[in-house]
Amino acid sequence: MPVELSRADPGTESLTDPAGSVQTTVETDGPWCAVVWNDPVNLMSYVEFVFRSYFGFSHLVAEQLMMQVHEEGSAVVSRGSRERAETDVQAMHSFGLQATLEKAGEN
Amino acid sequence: MAHAFRRRADSTLACRLDGEEKSILAQVAQETADLIRADLGIDGDGDVLRRAAQSEDPLRRLEAEFAGRDPREPSDSAVRRLFPAASEDPELAIEYRRLAQQDLADGKLADLRLVMQILDRSGGGHGEVVIDDAESMAMLRALNDVRIVLADRLGLRRDGDFDTVRMLQQIGEKVEEAEPVGDDEHVGSDIVIAVYELLSWLQESLLRALD
Repeated sequence: MPVELSRADPGTESLTDPAGSVQTTVETDGPWCAVVWNDPVNLMSYVEFVFRSYFGFSHLVAEQLMMQVHEEGSAVVSRGSRERAETDVQAMHSFGLQATLEKAGEN
Repeated sequence: MAHAFRRRADSTLACRLDGEEKSILAQVAQETADLIRADLGIDGDGDVLRRAAQSEDPLRRLEAEFAGRDPREPSDSAVRRLFPAASEDPELAIEYRRLAQQDLADGKLADLRLVMQILDRSGGGHGEVVIDDAESMAMLRALNDVRIVLADRLGLRRDGDFDTVRMLQQIGEKVEEAEPVGDDEHVGSDIVIAVYELLSWLQESLLRALD
């Protein structure tokens, strides 16, 4: 993702969200997962927006996942049945994000 | 000169673009739609397969079934980025294409068409482009898809590549200032760089207005 200037406004929403909620939100049981990969086109703010608007993640959770994609190259954004993962991968593709379907534990 | 998106009192979103910016935007949206249709073998109506599938002619139905069974793999590098393989496992990837590719293409083409309609209704010259929240989602996705195509044409592969492209462009300008050659060779990529920057800026400004 292209690096942008950090926001002037640190945001007043979602401050009650514990940082650890990423784990509980994302890692529900299931053998399949949807993985989003870093790319040089999608803006950081756009990726965060997609995570918020599609998955309903809070600002903090979405930002944390977006940073994981940006810095580590990829992040698991959902887990569950194969249908669930396929639906989520298709949604990510509809937004132009690079996403793949993976068997949990293989990535 | 373009002005960023902002939220208006009536809760719609608006930006200001001049006539040239609007026509460039409409043109790249049209070209992206044309590229998707040509590469994936989708006709102008977009539903030739569906009509064939309901045909009285059993041969046409069979053709449609086979065509539906094997969705065309994108061959253009930009279209491959818009419709990436969902798995390294080729079987899984083709199953996913069967399931998702037509819907994805329909969605992307509808977004691009909507952006062209929004630009048309805003009139030809310099003026406001007004959209509601539902249209802003289509606008974000379409701007992104066009950026993906332009990025492919600019050869952007990794983070930071655009900065390198801009740097090379500036070096090129300095060299030309020193010894003007008057060739048109760099004009093409200069335009792509400028359009990519305009679209990135517009998308970022829409995201800020929505936040």
